[in-house]
Amino acid sequence: MLQMARTKDGFLKRLFLVELGAGLWVTLKHQFRPHVTQEYPAERPELRPRFRGMPRLRDHPEVEGPLCVACNQCAIACPDSCITVIAESRPGGKGKQPRQFYIDYERCCVCGLCVDPCPTKPITAIYMSHDFELAKLERDQLMTDMAGLYEGHERKAYER
Amino acid sequence: MSETVLKSVVVPALQIALVVAVLLGCVAYLVLLERKIIAFMQVRLGPRRVGPHGLLQPVADILKLLLKEDILPARADRLVFYLAPVILLLPALVAFAVIPFSGTPVRVLGVEVRPWITDINVGVLFLLAISSLGVYGIVMAGWASNSKYPLLGALRSAAQMVSYEIPLGLSVISILMLAQTASLVGIVRAQAEDGSWFLFWMPYPQIVGLFLYFVSAIAETNRAPFDLPEAETELVAGFHTEYSGMKFAFFFLAEYANMILVACIVTVLFLGGWLPITLGIPGLRGALSNLLPFWGDAGAALTGLLWFGIKVLVVLYLYLWIRATFPRYRYDQLMRLGWKWLIPLGLAHLVVTGIVLLAAH
Amino acid sequence: MFGTSEMEINLGPQHPSTHGVLRVKLSLDGERILDAKPIIGYLHRGCEKLGESRAFPQAIVYTDRMDYVAAVNENIVYVEAVERLLGVEVPPRAQYMRVILSEFQRIASHLVWLATHALDLGAMSVFLYCFREREQILDLFEGYCGARLTTNAVRIGGMYEDFPEGWVEEARRFLEILPARLDEYHKLLTKNRIWLERTREVGVIAGDVALDYGVTGPCLRASGVAYDSRKAIPYAAYREFEFDIPLGTRGDTYDRYLVRMEEMRQSRRIILQALDRLPDGEIRGKTPRRIRPPKGEVYHVNEGPRGELGVYLVSDGTDNAYRCRFRSPCFVNLQALPELCRGHLVADVVAVIGTLDIVLGCIDR
Repeated sequence: MLQMARTKDGFLKRLFLVELGAGLWVTLKHQFRPHVTQEYPAERPELRPRFRGMPRLRDHPEVEGPLCVACNQCAIACPDSCITVIAESRPGGKGKQPRQFYIDYERCCVCGLCVDPCPTKPITAIYMSHDFELAKLERDQLMTDMAGLYEGHERKAYER
Repeated sequence: MSETVLKSVVVPALQIALVVAVLLGCVAYLVLLERKIIAFMQVRLGPRRVGPHGLLQPVADILKLLLKEDILPARADRLVFYLAPVILLLPALVAFAVIPFSGTPVRVLGVEVRPWITDINVGVLFLLAISSLGVYGIVMAGWASNSKYPLLGALRSAAQMVSYEIPLGLSVISILMLAQTASLVGIVRAQAEDGSWFLFWMPYPQIVGLFLYFVSAIAETNRAPFDLPEAETELVAGFHTEYSGMKFAFFFLAEYANMILVACIVTVLFLGGWLPITLGIPGLRGALSNLLPFWGDAGAALTGLLWFGIKVLVVLYLYLWIRATFPRYRYDQLMRLGWKWLIPLGLAHLVVTGIVLLAAH
Repeated sequence: MFGTSEMEINLGPQHPSTHGVLRVKLSLDGERILDAKPIIGYLHRGCEKLGESRAFPQAIVYTDRMDYVAAVNENIVYVEAVERLLGVEVPPRAQYMRVILSEFQRIASHLVWLATHALDLGAMSVFLYCFREREQILDLFEGYCGARLTTNAVRIGGMYEDFPEGWVEEARRFLEILPARLDEYHKLLTKNRIWLERTREVGVIAGDVALDYGVTGPCLRASGVAYDSRKAIPYAAYREFEFDIPLGTRGDTYDRYLVRMEEMRQSRRIILQALDRLPDGEIRGKTPRRIRPPKGEVYHVNEGPRGELGVYLVSDGTDNAYRCRFRSPCFVNLQALPELCRGHLVADVVAVIGTLDIVLGCIDR
């Protein structure tokens, strides 16, 4: 237990407004410190490697063909039911691949629960990208299909 | 054109036009300066997008306010509603008629121009009287809005302003005693004669007087930490709730013009007006009073203006610094501070100044 | 001849200082407050009902968003409740990691409290300084789990992933500058006469009255009652750390301010101990693939930054919970608002709401 002391300054210190001066000194010191403003969009934020942006699809850098095996685990894990996977057989017979893959970016809460059950480790087919700039003019533009998930949404550069 | 007409009509008219134009420009840029300086104290940048380093921000603000819809509340008293901002702004501007901006008269095209619009021998009294007229504007604004919250806010603001006039006056009286004159030019000249600003006047420096005046002035101009009537986070939104557009702009112009007025008065009364900083240092008596000696009188006038400007900026910086640092007083604590602490302090200060003056002679 | 009557005015729901959408109906007699009735529900999103229709791992996402300023604490209380139902053993490294993240979240939450409280009372610079420190904590969270606010940092059975490279060093660097920054806030506020006048003897609540209302957290400790769930019902690895619990005497706004400021220092102490003694090992215990706890119920408690966070989980053997009830500390603390406001002036309501440290997401769920 730590009893907090309710102290006040002594009479002389209060008479000469010492604590007001100390407060003013703190703000004055900050006047000369560098600012912490990040001037977006001229300065882009430095995102950490694990930053959770919108989920996207990717292929293996060396292996041919889509990495995703259309197991539907990500769709089951998603709390918002925003993933829809339509599977088809792979050419050559072994396993499945997605014919179409939709993620509704309007509903996605960017929680990352879809990445955990993806079986294609260590490079998961679905991953949380670093996309966060998604402003669109219409709602339907946010429903992203497989092509959009591979390429990512176009980020319109803001000039000024 | 005869000499008298020139001296008494044309020259003052031009001076008035110049002072009002420069003042309104200064007020607009003071708003920007406040935002930038408070931002730097809070480790961020202020306005930056409009013009380089935000220098065109006041233009953007004024354009915005001009283009806004002019709202008149239902059943509000139309005349009083429109008149209130004007009545608040005019005294702030009129008071600048007696402020001396520099010391040396200059000959322009054969006419002698003094660096003040007029110098009446009751200048200080004139200032106190004119700045009290601003209270009418606030009460009119609150009443004409026909809404209970602006009315309450206006009454509280008015009560605050009236209460703090007393310590204001008390600190000014001490200065009058030291200067033996109520004319503002005379007060600065008395400081020149005494060889030191009244702030550093020996044997009793008027630090308490400056503190009293400045704190009362902050309360008069409704600035932090005494800005409860108009703070955004409080319940009652203040007397300017129902105003929009240019009339709202007038209230803010009036507030900032009052700030500049207070800074000018503090400079003249306590900080030596246009006198250079080397005044009090023995041996350097006249140094730095004319940084442009090849221009003679004009140089002296400009240097005086420079010193005046620097001091005004320091006082304004103090205003902004205090706003960025301190929390806000509650209304009853504010009134208690004014009546129970500042008035006795002012009276005590007056008595001590009187005793010192008596003993020194 | 002249009668007086009460005036009823509304504070909110849209108001700069109600910390969310809170509506308070004030009954005034002139300027004195006779009664203050909080009206909530403007931010209700049905989190508890959603908890019933989502599987246990999926419902963690909703706990982030309830008390969005203390997301990690909410995550942990829910996950630990599920782990108790399942009977899963959490490895020590994961427990230490949970403690570290919890305490960082506590510091971040108290920084938000200080920033908004000071801003409401007029000290605008403190707001920006606190948020500058909070940025560093949020960067740490971003480095660990990828999100700054809705962290979703824990998984059932342990943690999501291990700390990335350099995270521990960055955390230590932040903890080194923290005491100096806290001293700056102290210099700006603690002895400042204006602050003292605004916060002393404002919103006083006695210890036994607070207990009657069910108030917990720093509000209770400031009234002199030494109750902290981290010491009373230790969870995660809190048994192994040494820390003090700051107590107040008078139970007013100033005491709550002092208590929370000291709690930030104590949190720093806990994190340093945890970082020094962080055990190696796995970060996830053995959990079944499908989370299907056996039939049963559990009430699990955490010490959130605002008070006692509780989860009452009833499982009926299926994938979803049968009932998922969150005990929100702010909801219970807000009950004391009329008690705290009575007799004060209108301008004090803002101070009292700030000192209760409410987050509407937590109240309304």
